[in-house]
Order: sequence, then C-alpha cells, then structure tokens
Amino acid sequence: MLTNIADNIIVPAYANFKTKMDAMTTKSDAFAAKPDKASLADFRQAWVDAYTEWQKVELFDVGPAEQYTLRNFFNIYPANTTGIEEYIAAGSGSFDVPLSYPKQGFPALDYLINGLGSTDDAIVARYTTATDAAKRIAYLKRLTTQMNSVFSTVYTQWTTGGYRDTFINCTALNAGCSTGKLVNGYVLNYERYIRSGKIGIPSGAMTNGTVSPDKVEAYYKKDLALTLAKTAHQASVDFFNGKSVKTGQEGPGLKSYLNSLGAKDSQTGKSLVDIVNAQFDLVNQKLSVLKANLSDEVKTNNTAVTQVYTEMQKAVRMLKVDMTSAMSITITYTDNDGD
Amino acid sequence: MPAYFYKTTPAAPLALFRLLFGLMLFGSIVRFWGNGWIAELYEKPHYFFPFYGFEFVKPLGQYTCVLFAICGLSALLVAIGLFYRVAIITLFLSFTYIELIDKSTYLNHYYFVSMVCLLLMFLPAHAYFSVDAYRRRTLLADQIPAWCIDSLKLFVAILYVFAGLAKLNSDWILHAQPLRIWLPAHNDLPIIGFLFNYPWVPYVFSVFGCIYDLSIPFLLWNYATRPFAYVAVVVFHGLTALLFPIGMFPYIMIVTGLIFFSPAFHQRIINQIGNWFSASSQFLHPRRTYAYSPAVKTALLGTLTIFFTVQLLFPLRYLLYPGELFWTEQGYRFSWRVMLMEKAGYAQFTIKDQLGHQTIVNNSHFLTPLQEKMMSTQPDMLLQYAHLLRDYYAQHGFQHPEVYVDSYVALNGRLGKPLIDPNTNLANEEDSFKPKPWITPFHDTIYGL
Repeated sequence: MLTNIADNIIVPAYANFKTKMDAMTTKSDAFAAKPDKASLADFRQAWVDAYTEWQKVELFDVGPAEQYTLRNFFNIYPANTTGIEEYIAAGSGSFDVPLSYPKQGFPALDYLINGLGSTDDAIVARYTTATDAAKRIAYLKRLTTQMNSVFSTVYTQWTTGGYRDTFINCTALNAGCSTGKLVNGYVLNYERYIRSGKIGIPSGAMTNGTVSPDKVEAYYKKDLALTLAKTAHQASVDFFNGKSVKTGQEGPGLKSYLNSLGAKDSQTGKSLVDIVNAQFDLVNQKLSVLKANLSDEVKTNNTAVTQVYTEMQKAVRMLKVDMTSAMSITITYTDNDGD
Repeated sequence: MPAYFYKTTPAAPLALFRLLFGLMLFGSIVRFWGNGWIAELYEKPHYFFPFYGFEFVKPLGQYTCVLFAICGLSALLVAIGLFYRVAIITLFLSFTYIELIDKSTYLNHYYFVSMVCLLLMFLPAHAYFSVDAYRRRTLLADQIPAWCIDSLKLFVAILYVFAGLAKLNSDWILHAQPLRIWLPAHNDLPIIGFLFNYPWVPYVFSVFGCIYDLSIPFLLWNYATRPFAYVAVVVFHGLTALLFPIGMFPYIMIVTGLIFFSPAFHQRIINQIGNWFSASSQFLHPRRTYAYSPAVKTALLGTLTIFFTVQLLFPLRYLLYPGELFWTEQGYRFSWRVMLMEKAGYAQFTIKDQLGHQTIVNNSHFLTPLQEKMMSTQPDMLLQYAHLLRDYYAQHGFQHPEVYVDSYVALNGRLGKPLIDPNTNLANEEDSFKPKPWITPFHDTIYGL
C-alpha cells in the first residue's frame, strides 16, 4: 500500500504540482518583466492552475511536508493584506515566522493579482505607474522564490533525498510511522482545512451563523473558491480509494486496506468503504448545487453551504473514528493498555 | 487466630521481590524521563483531568521532575533496602500522586504498582538481605510470617482472575474483538507477522488469553505446574510486549511471577548476589525469625483484610450501574480490565449563551492529542472537559455558558454512535458515583461478565 501511495499518488501529484508551479513562476517573471494586461491574464491563469493543483497535494501531511510545514507557506488564508503592504513597503521581512504565513503563498498572490483594483487596468497600474511599483514587482518575485524554495526542499527529499524509501519501509501503524502520519494528516486536512477552512468558517456554520464571506479561499478571484473546494474534496476521495494520479486506476490504498480488514457495520453488514464513499457522494451532491462565487453563496444561499458543512462533518466522524479505529492507528507514542 | 497466621516462611522471596521491583520501578522512571514523557504528559498540557474525589491533586508544572526524582530515588532505596519504611512510603505517595494528576495517563499497571507499594508498606521486605538489616542486625531475619508473602501472591492472583473474568464476554470470545482489529496491524512483524493475516488467529489469541488469565495464578501456585506456567508467563507477556504499546507492564508481570517460586530458588539467587558482595554467611543465614508484636500483627491483619475486601469488591462495582460497561465506563477503571476495547471517539463541543453567543470549540487549543483521545470516549472526562470549557468561556464574554457536545464513538469494530445526549447542557451536570443519565444507551448487546 505504501509503495502504491508513494509511487503512484504522492510523487506524481508533487510532479504535477511542480509543473504548474514552474509554469506560474515563468508567467510571474514575464509579468514582472513587462506588466500589462496580457501578461497579467497569463499570470492569473497560471496561478489558477497552480492553486487548483495545490489542492491535490495539500493533503499529504507526511514526511518532509510535515517537517517543513509545507501548507503554512502555501495556503494560509485569509491573506493579511495590511501585513503584505508593510512587507512591500519595507522591501524585506521574514517569511519563516508564523505571523508571516498569511503574507505569502497563493492567498498573497490572489490579493496581488486580483485584489488591487476593480479592473485589470487599475491592477496593472499598481505595477507600472504607482510609486511603489518596483517594490511590488520585487515582492511578487520574493513570493514565487519562497514558494519554489520550500516546495523543492520537500519534493527533492521524495525524489532524490531518500525519503521515498524511508516512507515505504516504515510500516508500523504507530504515530511515528508512515501510515499513521499519513492517515492522521489526511484526516486533519479533511477536517480542518476542507470542512472548516473552506466551508465551515466562511458559512458561519462553526461560528454562530456569523457569515464571513471574506474568509473564503481565493477571496479576490471571486469565482475560484468552489472549484478549489471541489478539487480538494475530490483529491481526498481519490486518495481514500487509492486512485493512481498517473493512470486513474485504483490501487492499494485506504479503501483496499479497510476491505482486507473486513471493516463493516456489524449491524447492517454494509462495508465501511461503501458507507464512507456514499457519504463522500452526498458531499459532492451538496457541493454541486453551489455557484462558483462561494463568497456570494455564503451570503445569499447560506443554507445550501451549511448543508455541505453538515455532510462533511459526518464524513469527518467516519474518517476520524470509524476508519482510524478499524485500522488501529495510534496517535501518540506513550504507553497504552487498551483504553 | 488460625494456625496459618503463625506459620513462617523463608524471607528470601520477599527480599528478592523488593530488590527486583525497586530496580524495575527505578528503570521505569528513568525510561519515562528519558522518553521526554514528563514534559509531554505533565508539563506541556494546560489542563488536567483529576480523578473524582482527588481534585486536590494538582500538577506541579516545572517541578514535576523533582517529584519524579523523589520517586526514582525512593525506588532505588527500596531496592537496596535502605531507610526502607520511609522509602516505601515515599515511593507509594510520590508514585500515586503522579498517577492521580491526569486521568488521561491512567494505566492498569500503574494502579498495580501503586497497590503493590501500598502492600509493601506493611510487609517486612527489609528484614532480609537489605542495607537496613546489614546496619541494624537486630532487624535481620531470614524467616518471616507466611502471610506476608502469600498476601502478595493473593493480590497477583486477584489481578489475573479479574482480568480473565473480564474477558468472558461476547466481544472477546465470539467476535475476537478487539484483537481482530489490533493483530492485523502487526502483519509486518518478522517471523510471526504473516499469522495475523489469518482470520482465525485472533480467535486463538483471545481464547488463550482468557484461559491464561484465569488459570495462571493457580498453575504458578502449584509446584508441579510452576515451571511450565512460568514459561507461559514469559511467552505471553513477551508477546504482548512485542505487539502492544504497554511499556513496562509485561516486564513487571514477568518479574512479579517469580514470587510464586520456591524459597530455595530465591535463596540460590540471593546467595549468588551475596557472593558478589562477599556477604558473610551470618548475614545470609542469620537463622532468626521476624516477629510482630501481637497488637501490631492484629492491626496489620485487619488492614490486609480491609485491603483485600476492597480489592475483591471494587472491580464488581460496575454491576450497580445500568447500561453496557464498555460503553458507559461507569466502574471500568481500577478493575483489571486490560486490552479489552478498541474505542475511538470524536467530540465537538458547542458553547452558547442566552445573549446569542455561540462558538465551536477547537479541542487542540485546550488539550493534548492524548487527552483529546481519552476525553472523547470517556463520559466522566467529557463532563470534566465541558466544565473546563464552561469556566473558560464564562471568563471570555459568555454569560452562563451552555455546553453541548456532538460526540461519536466507535467500540470494538462497531460503527460510531453518539455517546452523549446532544441536547444535555453539560454545564449543569455534576459528576458523582451515580449513573449518568446523559449517556446515550448502547444500541447493541455485549453478553457476559
């Protein structure tokens, strides 16, 4: 199972992301060299592609990604626009402290290429005629450099750094080994970064119905948040089913593992895998009725968004309790005599 | 007083037990410290779960390691038998204090260790082969009352028998739960790993585990079966050490099992150790009997009677509660129920008040992963946590906060179900020994004891 996950899922997913990331860097550099509407549009499209591809790797919170907290450098939102402007004005500032996380990555780029003006002309002007245009362009460069540097640290550990072998050879199910970390990271991603981050917090489902339309992902792009949520959710579903990123064929993964354990509802005899997949389908159905602009949806169609949250919540319980329990995955190193 | 209470027996088994038990505990403390668990379990958490009735036990923060140092030192003193009475009382108090700080770290074998320390406080384990007896020859004796050693044996027998009785239930025997979940997770072990892929293997393990627990004290007690029984002890506990993260417990039980061996066996070991230290024959064979004054003896026997009565009744208290024990855990702890459940849970708390405030709690802001895991499956801890949240939010802008929980618990391979009534405001519920009506009924039946 770990070999399939490493060779057919994680590494190819990282490779795909690297392609999109490289393309975005090229477009970003082109825009920096010659900021105009055409290069902005190219850059923006490349950013959309890379951000969408990111959703397919964020869930691998294991090994180097966990060690270097990859997510913190790529996707902590809402962006801290005041902080970003301060960093731009200063021309410097650390990217390694927790306070800097919302000042970098995709959310910061979102603000810089989508949120600086109501028209593309207005945005381009901030990079051409504005007094701090040069500093702003420099900041774009700093952002992509930082993203590439953190990502390549993680990626090369998998490709040439020997982590792949470490990963597939650490077969125990305790908190320190691959399956434990992978599953704990996967469930945490689903619970905190998909359910809460993308849906629960913006919709107000987790905060007394206080709607926060400005807390959706890719807030400044307006029409991307739903795509990102759907992509991330589908990535979680595919990972659960062990689907190869290269061929789309299912291989050894959580699904086959649970099936081999015979995990099922002892009262109805229905397999846990089927129950989880049925719940994923329900989430997909609830997502499918939403419109692209999630920020508007939480204001005008809040009930439908909240329903997504409710169904995701049920999936969280199944993943977090039924699945980890069936797999006998532990969360800590300390002694335990069986609850 | 029956003649039995006048019988004496060689002191060697008790002395050797004292030595090994003390060293074992010292080793445990060093291991605990070395693993960084003092910080992890007692310094890092912001909140703790004290035991009901022992709320006065407070965490010591950065001074916790001082407590561990005292505990380790007294274990070492007990081992060599120096200042024995003071050392064993200090060991009992410090060890028990540590265990009472946080329910999340409860382990049956810690309770076992505490209770053995308590017993040892009353036994003359320092009369023979100890520094105390070396320094004070009036104390030295190689014969002690037989009941002194038998009470340790009896305690170990109670542990095994209750552990065995607890396995006489349909989940364990008929469904091989939770071994059916736990064993396949170890199919990567060398040599025996492949076995765990066979569905019948957990059943074999379950049945043997149950028979082992129920019979081992008697097989150890009986001279003829003892050697085989002890091999079984080593294999059984060795296997559990290999398969489960239960720390020192297997080794403690392997060492404790030696108490059943003949005095001659212990004497040979002690003579050997004595030779290394060039101990005089007079020190090794003083030919004296340790005797209590009649008043002390009566008091001690009375104390032991109370101790064993409690030990026999306490594990049965679950019978007084309605509902399934594994589900409600009312009367579960301190009853030698070991490795019986694979229980996992999820608890999401909502806090609201009359002014319309409402928030969902991120448990990781308050608890460590271990605490959260333990809290989410154990009703009394859920309630303690709810009260902690109530008090916290009362100080953070909520007026008379109400606390509700969306809980979901899976037990022994069953799909998850809510454990707590989601409509009960836990802020208003109080913990007690009474049944907790806000635990939802278990929608299944586990037959047996």
